[in-house]
Amino acid sequence: MSSRRSRSGPTLNFKAVLLGEGCVGKTSLVLRYMEDKFNPQHLSTLQASFVTKKVTLPDERRAQLNIWDTAGQERFHALGPIYYRGSDGALLVYDITDHDSFQKVKSWVRELKQMRGTEISLIIVGNKTDLEEQRAIGYADAFHYAQTVGALYLEASAKENEGVAEIFELLTHLMLERLSQRERETEPASPLRLQALDADDAVSVSDGEQSDGTGTGQRSCCGI
Amino acid sequence: MSTAARPPALRLGQQDLKCRASCGYYGTPQNDGLCSKCFRDRNDKQRKMLKAGDMQPILSGSSSHSHSHASVSAGGSSDRRSPQHFQVRETPKKQVDKEPDTSTLQKKKFTAVLQKTLQAGAQKIAQQRGYVPDPTESQFVKQLQKLRIPDDGKRKLKSEIQRLDSEIRKYINSNSSKNIDELSDAVQNTYTKVADIVHNDPRFEIATNEDRESAIDFFEKVVMTQNHKFLFSPYFTTDEESDMKVQKRIRQLSWITSKHLDCSIDEVNAEARDLVYSAISELVGIDSYYSPQEKLQCTVRCCRHIFELLKRATGGPASADDFLPALIFVVLKANPVRLHSNINFVTRFTNASRVMSGEGGYYFTNLCSAIAFIENLNGESLGISKEEFGALMSGQQPFSSPWESALMACESLHLISENMKQMERLQKKNGDISSGIAAFEKELIEFQREVTERVDTVMAKAPLTLLPIKTPAFLIGQARAQLLQELHEGEAGHYQANVLSGAHSLTVHTGMVKASIPAEESGLALKDTSISSIGRLSPLPNLQQPDNLFASPIFNYAAFDAVSLLEEPSSGGSGDVLMLGAELQGGLTNINYDFDLSDQSGENSTAEEAKLNLDEFDPLAQSSAPAPAVEPETSLLDTTMDSLIDSDVPGSCVSLPSPLKPEVANYRGFSNFEIPSISCNTGDFSSLGHDTGPTEGHK
Repeated sequence: MSSRRSRSGPTLNFKAVLLGEGCVGKTSLVLRYMEDKFNPQHLSTLQASFVTKKVTLPDERRAQLNIWDTAGQERFHALGPIYYRGSDGALLVYDITDHDSFQKVKSWVRELKQMRGTEISLIIVGNKTDLEEQRAIGYADAFHYAQTVGALYLEASAKENEGVAEIFELLTHLMLERLSQRERETEPASPLRLQALDADDAVSVSDGEQSDGTGTGQRSCCGI
Repeated sequence: MSTAARPPALRLGQQDLKCRASCGYYGTPQNDGLCSKCFRDRNDKQRKMLKAGDMQPILSGSSSHSHSHASVSAGGSSDRRSPQHFQVRETPKKQVDKEPDTSTLQKKKFTAVLQKTLQAGAQKIAQQRGYVPDPTESQFVKQLQKLRIPDDGKRKLKSEIQRLDSEIRKYINSNSSKNIDELSDAVQNTYTKVADIVHNDPRFEIATNEDRESAIDFFEKVVMTQNHKFLFSPYFTTDEESDMKVQKRIRQLSWITSKHLDCSIDEVNAEARDLVYSAISELVGIDSYYSPQEKLQCTVRCCRHIFELLKRATGGPASADDFLPALIFVVLKANPVRLHSNINFVTRFTNASRVMSGEGGYYFTNLCSAIAFIENLNGESLGISKEEFGALMSGQQPFSSPWESALMACESLHLISENMKQMERLQKKNGDISSGIAAFEKELIEFQREVTERVDTVMAKAPLTLLPIKTPAFLIGQARAQLLQELHEGEAGHYQANVLSGAHSLTVHTGMVKASIPAEESGLALKDTSISSIGRLSPLPNLQQPDNLFASPIFNYAAFDAVSLLEEPSSGGSGDVLMLGAELQGGLTNINYDFDLSDQSGENSTAEEAKLNLDEFDPLAQSSAPAPAVEPETSLLDTTMDSLIDSDVPGSCVSLPSPLKPEVANYRGFSNFEIPSISCNTGDFSSLGHDTGPTEGHK
């Protein structure tokens, strides 16, 4: 990362929260993602409640993605706003075998919409696809609901490691897209660069993140 | 533990609220603790006095109200102290306030006088306060110098710091109504601006990104540390009330156990408890730091302890579901002071991105949630009925069930017995050590005695005798040749110098020779032998040791007389130097055994050898023999000590031929010396002797 090129300077920060009722597998998703993405010995260090990864954008700016896990117990529900204050994205996880957890997601979506409006990218994740036979929420239902609230819908299985990495990559992509959107609004003078970013960053970003994240093990559990 | 670590509670006395002029009305901190009327009166009086230029009356008149007068005279700065720091912070703050306000000459003079007394007071108060002292400006300057950014950048950074600093002070000192959010916005904007400068200004061109970040951090740290007293829990906010409220609430909630919170902290496990205590002390420590960064770091440390705890309890990386209850539990048990003030200070005045990202931000957010949870806690959120909650809160119901109390008591007893066992072990170890010490001491004394004894016996058996030197004829011849040559060339001065230095070394070393030979310190002794034997070749009138002198054959030895040298033409005089060296070795073996190198054990023939020496040489030596043996006795003990030490140091024998070393190590003395081994040493002598031989010339 050349220091000369850092025209826009400080590291960009993205923050996403991980919401979901207790026992829907939020933590398992994070763990699974980190396990795949990072060295196992890093994993054993401390915690699975937040993930930080560094990404280099196509224009050589550096960005840091923070994914914050939240406590899912009902009694902590009221604390939600403290976490998603200023967040750019949210992963709403529910258990496809548990109808209540889906209702919970709906209430969170309402809250988030109220608080963050359109500033936040939402991804709804149906976890535990390995328990297909006990499924309580149909894929179509969930998908439709997601569409109505302007969210994306994905299904995954943390246990089988299906679709886990995709969730986080999609989230990264969404947040970066939002950034470029924001920049387009504030900086209409440079549409070229931003278009380029739009066009190919789905691939290039995840590439950059891969080489960056795995190569140097930059999950920052040591220092900000 | 948590209570012990906590500073005393901050209370306001009635008298603190009353006007300081004791008129009976209430005073306000803004008016320097005076009521509005007294404040105005005093200000008027003050102004008049200042106008009159009469400084002395103010000083003397202010004796009863010296503090308040001081601050007013220094520009009427309103005092922003929050009431609970009323007494403590008064003096240092005023001192700070005053500095930018000395506009008139009179004021300057006045403040100069006042500052001295105030500084002394401030120092005293700083000592009394006893927590983290204000990092002085000089420390910051040092840190600034350490930053790896260009000097121009440093200057810019410094000016920005000063600008924000004065901005904050101006805002705080202004009389307009204050809003902490405005101030917070202003500070945040400055942060953004500084970040922009650091990243885009050409003055920072060559700095790396890390250095830029640290420059920004430094900026924040300096400004916040220096203005901590203004920005932390300012009087125009309700931070303090919230502090008191949450503190009281936490106290009421002291009955909460980890079970209520459904978290996996095992309260009866000693290891877990230790970790809880570490987390608690970190949490309590947040208040003792000045800058937001340090407060955040403290939070991070606290949370790491909690994660460590959870990891042990659950056997894997902990999730937020486990973490938040545990954090709440720790906050409840810690009951940190000025919790809200600290949280608000960080939220308002740290770089916004810091609390939105990274580990520190995440933990800080969790801490905020924990506090929010505690404040809104009810029976439902703890899984108990409303009635039970009420009863517990009001203290009607005992904190814990008998079973739990019993469990805790058992655990404590267990801990006590563990500690007792540990103490016993330590005591036993201690006893072992002291008996070991005693034994070792005894051994040492014994060893010393033994050594002394042995040395004594050796000394008695083999007194030091200095025997006359027999100078080989060829040496005389050579010396004479040299002397002749020298006489011709008129270089007497050179030899004179040599002789003088030789004399010096002799006076120094002859004593040592005597002492060190009994001590069997072969290395030194041999070296000295060579030196003193060199010296002995020359007549030395200023010798300090008469015994030695007496023993030395120099005076009666005519061979070295310059005249006789000149008189006797020598056959060996024409020999070249190398040849002489070879011959010298043989010849000198005869010279050197004038030192009695006898064996301590006396089992081999050296004693006889010594005898033989005595017989063979000048009878004069025999008469002088007892003298050296007696003389060193006083210093014998010291000498043995020295030799004990020295013998451990291989370096002392470095210059010696290696065959001698084993003898030293075994304390075998010179018993096993053979004549050829000594002749090795004379190689040294031969080269020197070449020069020293003819020194008689100066006589």
